[in-house]
Amino acid sequence: MELLLSVVSSILLLFCLLSLVRRAVDRWLCRRCYLLDYVCYKPSDDRKLPTDRCSEVIMRNPRLRLPDYKFLLKVVVNSGISEETYGPRSIIVGRREERPSMADCYEEVDDCAFATLDQLFRRTGIPPSRVDLLVVNVSMFAPAPSLASRIINRYGMRDDVKSFNLAGMGCSASPIAVDLVSNVFRSRKGMVALVFTSESIAPNWYSGSDRSMMLGNCLFRSGGCSFMLTNDGSLRHRAKMRLNCLVRTHIGANDEAYGCAIQKEDDVGRVGFHLGKNLPKAAVRAFTENMQRLAPKVLPIGELALHAVRVLRHRLLKAAATNSKEPAAGNERVVNFKTGVEHFCLHTGGAAVIDAVGKGLGLNKYDVEPARMTLHRWGNTSASSLWYVLGYMEAKKRLRKKERVMMISFGAGFKCNSCVWEVLRDLDGGDGGVWEDCIGRYPQQTLVNPFLKKFGWVNEE
Amino acid sequence: MTSSSEPLPEFLSSVKLKYVKLGYRYVISKLVTLVLIPVMAALLLEALKLDPAEVVSLWRRAQGLSAVHTLATVFLLVLVATAYFMSRPRPIFLVDFACFLPAPNCRVPFATYLEHARLMPFFDEKSVRFQLRILERSGLGEETCLPPDNHYIPPRNSLGTARAEAELVIFSALDQLIAKTGLKPKDVDILVVNCSLFSPTPSLSAMVVNRYKLRSNILSFNLSGMGCSAGLISIDLARDLLQAHPNSYALVVSTEIITPNYYTGNERSMLLPNCLFRMGAAAVLLSNRRRDRGRAKYRLLHVVRTHRGADDQAYRCVNEEEDRDGNSGISLSKDLMAIAGEALRTNITTVGPLVLPVTEQLRFLASLVRRRLIMAGARPGWRPYIPDFTRAFEHFCIHAGGRAVIDELQRSLRLSSEHVEASRMALHRFGNTSSSSLWYELGYIEAKGRMRRGDRVWMIGFGSGFKCNSAVWRCLRSVETPVEGPWAECIHRYPVDIPEVVKLL
Repeated sequence: MELLLSVVSSILLLFCLLSLVRRAVDRWLCRRCYLLDYVCYKPSDDRKLPTDRCSEVIMRNPRLRLPDYKFLLKVVVNSGISEETYGPRSIIVGRREERPSMADCYEEVDDCAFATLDQLFRRTGIPPSRVDLLVVNVSMFAPAPSLASRIINRYGMRDDVKSFNLAGMGCSASPIAVDLVSNVFRSRKGMVALVFTSESIAPNWYSGSDRSMMLGNCLFRSGGCSFMLTNDGSLRHRAKMRLNCLVRTHIGANDEAYGCAIQKEDDVGRVGFHLGKNLPKAAVRAFTENMQRLAPKVLPIGELALHAVRVLRHRLLKAAATNSKEPAAGNERVVNFKTGVEHFCLHTGGAAVIDAVGKGLGLNKYDVEPARMTLHRWGNTSASSLWYVLGYMEAKKRLRKKERVMMISFGAGFKCNSCVWEVLRDLDGGDGGVWEDCIGRYPQQTLVNPFLKKFGWVNEE
Repeated sequence: MTSSSEPLPEFLSSVKLKYVKLGYRYVISKLVTLVLIPVMAALLLEALKLDPAEVVSLWRRAQGLSAVHTLATVFLLVLVATAYFMSRPRPIFLVDFACFLPAPNCRVPFATYLEHARLMPFFDEKSVRFQLRILERSGLGEETCLPPDNHYIPPRNSLGTARAEAELVIFSALDQLIAKTGLKPKDVDILVVNCSLFSPTPSLSAMVVNRYKLRSNILSFNLSGMGCSAGLISIDLARDLLQAHPNSYALVVSTEIITPNYYTGNERSMLLPNCLFRMGAAAVLLSNRRRDRGRAKYRLLHVVRTHRGADDQAYRCVNEEEDRDGNSGISLSKDLMAIAGEALRTNITTVGPLVLPVTEQLRFLASLVRRRLIMAGARPGWRPYIPDFTRAFEHFCIHAGGRAVIDELQRSLRLSSEHVEASRMALHRFGNTSSSSLWYELGYIEAKGRMRRGDRVWMIGFGSGFKCNSAVWRCLRSVETPVEGPWAECIHRYPVDIPEVVKLL
């Protein structure tokens, strides 16, 4: 009797313990977020925007005067982009720029979404019916039914798929989508998530004469990316990277920061995307705050301690200097992020943005090269730009096992979002993706802008 | 609108496999309990056979065990118990919610609506007559409201006026919520805003962060284009986020901005939203902090989402498109009711097993089995057994999409008029406020003093895509009247009798 009692109770106890352990292990595994694959969008060649076409499109606006043309050309000349970036078809052919039809808007998004998703499903071998979570992020075009529903319809996904359609979240929405996915992953194991991110230019083309709103027309280019994430351990061997950490910073509480990148109407009622003069200041603030929170998560203790010592030394010297009224000894208070991260995907917001961020992180020419070259080849493709930069690194066979990749981007709101991935295997077997046909030409030693050759005179005036 | 025929026959065949799988999963998950019961029973029998002397000797033996043994056993038991309780999913509480109450000067009685429609330069005579007929049968009352800029002839539609409406409705609801709950904006960790047909950049969620000075490490999300069921999608997202972040507050704001979506053409299928959609917003505070259990009103039990987008007809039945003249609007297809019914059936096959009492489920299973066994000689008039959901829920909040939707659901789920009263009255007083309508309905039930502790509420939303989403809540404390909110001043007049057709001319 007692033997039976003790045997049964110990078996039960063991069973309980094992199931609890299993539950804890499952919970821990659910936190894992693996990047299976990603596919960037390469529009067709008839959508390229070389010098002449660009100026043609700009000149088409009858409301602009000569000083406006000069201003725009100056922006384009100094932008750091090449002749090979892409624009929406309807804008290039001059079809209903002022009131684009829904068909044009859908065409722009469909081209991008279906091309990248078809390829992604093919490459990963995962059927659409296996997808449990779908996140779509297109900031400036949100029809009903949503683009998420459009993708579900096109690929015949299951009726219990969780879909989320994010809109209005700006250029930094890629890390936001990843954040959403990694949080939903924690609720269930064995999930596969599909994310599509792009921007819609056609419905947001500004046809007025407010300079702060014309910048958007010059800088944004067509592009997009689809990527697949999973927390299924059985797919780990096929995954490229694993998410280590993600930090989101939103300084919208500050009115200036909120208003520096905002969609609004100009004096005559035309809607455009206003980029204010205090945008760099807001960006710096958001960036600093984000890095302050990210640093402890990615940097080794040594570097953190060293930085603390540096800051302390600088402060003491400053205090001593104010006391003795001598100039303080110059000190580089920049944290060296290269001690914790090997590769940097910087948002290709513009040449100035890349340079400023590179300086803030203590990067050299080699480190900012992927971002610079992406800006040159693809322009500012908004939220998907980070993936083009990643594609460059992969095409250049820079990514090795155990190395870490940091993605950092900025967006309207004002937000700065960053995430750090760890590479799971040597990524040198790929076909180069969208960079395949041009990677040989990069890096270009002198980024002589073709616009500069033709329109360089605007800089002298 | 077509009236659907037999509510459930086709769905039975697709459902039986699902039930088998669910049954199997149920057995596996409860394996320990199922094994334990006979074992415990056997042990109990054995124990009863012992006589006192043996019991005493057992006790002496137990006392004789060394301290280490006892301590180890106790420690192990405590460890197992703690680990078990900590590994359970965190409960999600709804602390409180607030709905926007429009000012009386935004009212659009039928006479005003029709007068404006006649004066609008873009409507022809046929369109005005069509809208009149829709209004007569709509189930709306005379106090529904449109935003101030829609009262102009023609309506003032611009980004600025749309933003103004958004600020008005969202900030009003949030101010009310903050006053009711004493919430400090700096304590908000998660923010989810959903608005289907208006999404500026920066988003409405950024607008809320800016106005209330929310923290810089907030997790904010802005959902758009997701239709009238997006309120429950936001709740689902907030729930997943709260599961991943302990000790947090989540703010969910659901609204639909009417100003930019007034249809200015003459296509009939696109005129319906003009007649039915009205101004509204709701703000909800969710929490997973244990200390909020005492003050929270509800606890979230389940959220089930169904998306029928894979079917082309379902995908296109609520569609934003342009008419021949380039005017954009929302087109509603004629088979909307049938598609809604289909989506509901798919949804309840998942919700049913989670909420129905075992007896109902067994009865349903039995009817399936019976049908299978006697399928060869099945009588043509055989009616399937429809589970009685009134045994699982005390209250129902059905999206007030329109009178037809409520009628259809009342029929399919065999609900009484009292069960759908909240939906009908919310439609009457506030119109179709899209994703926030469910919260107005819940507010009605509370204002009527019907919400008692332990009551379960089923919220069902439908939306473009085509989606059907449900949420199940349990009331944690009885809500005493009078209740502050949009119903405070008019609840004494409700319920009203809403005739089939209100003769307007």
